[in-house]
Amino acid sequence: MRNPTKWARVLSLSLLSGAVFARGASADPPTPPPAPGRSADARDADIQAQLDAAQKRLEDAARQVADLSTQLSGRYLKQFSKFDGPFGRVIIGVQLDPDSGKEGARVVEVSPGGPAAEAGIKVGDVIVNVNGKDVTGEEPARQVMKIIRDVKPDDKVVVRIARDGSSRTFSVKPRQKPDAVFLARAMPAMPDLPDLPGLPPSFMVDGPLSNMELVTLSPHLGKYFGTDKGVLVVRAPPDGLKLEDGDVILAIDGREPSSGSHATRILGSYQPGEKVTLRIVRERKTLELQSTMPAESGRTHRTIVFNDGGAGGITLSNTL
Amino acid sequence: MIQHRLRNLPRELAQPYDWTEFRRRARERAAAVARRDANARTTLAVAAALVLAVVGIAIWMRFTRSGGPPDIAGYPMAETDWRVFEGDAGSVSGTDARANAAERWLASLPTEPVVVRVGTRAAVTGLEDRIAQLDDYLSAARVAGVQPAKLVDVEAQRALLVRSLVQVRYAETLVSASR
Repeated sequence: MRNPTKWARVLSLSLLSGAVFARGASADPPTPPPAPGRSADARDADIQAQLDAAQKRLEDAARQVADLSTQLSGRYLKQFSKFDGPFGRVIIGVQLDPDSGKEGARVVEVSPGGPAAEAGIKVGDVIVNVNGKDVTGEEPARQVMKIIRDVKPDDKVVVRIARDGSSRTFSVKPRQKPDAVFLARAMPAMPDLPDLPGLPPSFMVDGPLSNMELVTLSPHLGKYFGTDKGVLVVRAPPDGLKLEDGDVILAIDGREPSSGSHATRILGSYQPGEKVTLRIVRERKTLELQSTMPAESGRTHRTIVFNDGGAGGITLSNTL
Repeated sequence: MIQHRLRNLPRELAQPYDWTEFRRRARERAAAVARRDANARTTLAVAAALVLAVVGIAIWMRFTRSGGPPDIAGYPMAETDWRVFEGDAGSVSGTDARANAAERWLASLPTEPVVVRVGTRAAVTGLEDRIAQLDDYLSAARVAGVQPAKLVDVEAQRALLVRSLVQVRYAETLVSASR
C-alpha cells in the first residue's frame, strides 16, 4: 500500500456514493441543474412545476392502484351475489363470528374506513343489541344481519356492544352499497353477469370533478362563512356543478354532507348527466344551484351499472 | 586539466556529509516511512471494522424487527417500514402480521386529510366501501355455513384491497402534507 490515505479516501467516497445511489435510485431521470444566469425566482418556479407534476403522477398512480384493485375484486363479489347483500342495500363493514355463543355477535374484523370503524367499533367487541333489539341467544350474527337488512342508506343504527366487561353504545351510519347491484332474492336463475367494474365513477376519480378540493367545516371556521356546518369548497371544479371557490355545500339533493369524504361519496352516487340540486352558502347567503353531473372523460374501460329492474328484472346500462 | 578543475570546485558542491552519515540518515528515513505506513494501515483497519460493525448492527436490527408483528401505530410517515406490507405471501403468519400492521396503521390515520381532493378521496372511499362489502359478504357466507376453505381466495382479495388502500392513503397523505 504505497499511499494509504489515498485508499482511505477512495473507500469513503465509495461508501458515500453508494449511499447516495441507494437513496436516489428512481425511475425518473435526475432533475437537470438549473441553467446558469436564470433568476432564483425562475428556478424556484421550475422546481415547483416539477414538484406539482411529480405529485400528480403519485396521485394518478394511487388512483390507478385503487381502480385496478377494485376491478380485480369484482369477480369475488360476483361469487357472493347469491347471498344478495346480507345487510340488504347497505354495508356496515364488519365480519361477525357465526360461532359467537349466546352472549352476542362477536366482531372478528372491522373494515378500515368502513361505517363500523368510523363509529368506533373494534375487533373483539360483542354486539348485544341493535336498534333496541337484543341479539343474544341463538345465532346472534344472523340476528344482526336480519335487523340491518331493513335499514336504508344514511339511516342511523344504534349498536350496543360489550367490551372489556362494560357496555357501550355506538351510532353507525350504514352506507349504500357502492356498485348499486340490487338483485332480487327470489330471482330463479342468475344470468352470466360480467365482473363488477372498478369503483367509483370515473368523473369522480379522474374526470372534471377530480381536482375539486373540499374541507370539512368546523363550527369555528364556519363563523367566517356564516354557517356552522357543511363542506367548504376550497377549489371548485372548473367545469360543472356551478360551484365557486369559497362556497359551502350544505346539502346535495337534501343529503347533508358531514365531511369531505361524505360529500365525495354522495357525489359519486350520481351518474354523468344526472341533475342535482345543491344547497350552498355563497358570500353568507344561502342559495340553491340546479346543476348537472359533468360527463366522464378519457377513461378507456367500460363501466357497467346494474339497476334493479323491479319484479326480479335487471336492466344493464353501459357508459363508456 | 580535468583533474585540476575538479580540485578547484567550490566548497558548496562538496558532499554535505560523509558516507556513514548518509547511511544513518537513509535508515532513519526508511524507518519513518515504515512507521507511517503502519499507522495508516491501523487507521484503515479500524475504519473498516467500524463500517462492518455498523452494517452488522443494522442487519441484526432488521432481522430482529421482522421477527414479530411491528408496532407501527405511532410511527411518523417517514419512519414507517413499508417492507412489512410487501412480499412473502407464502407465509400465512407473515401475511397476517402484515395485514394487522397495515390495519393498525390505517386506524392511526385521521379519517381524512384536512383538504380533501375529490379524485383521490373517491379512490379511497371506493376501496373502503369495497372492503366493507367483502366483509359483510364474508359474514353472511360464514353464517350460511360456507366452508372456510372456500373463502380463502376472498380473504386474499380482502388483503389485497387493504394493501391497495394503504398505498393510496400513503400517497394521499404525502401529497396533502406537501401542499
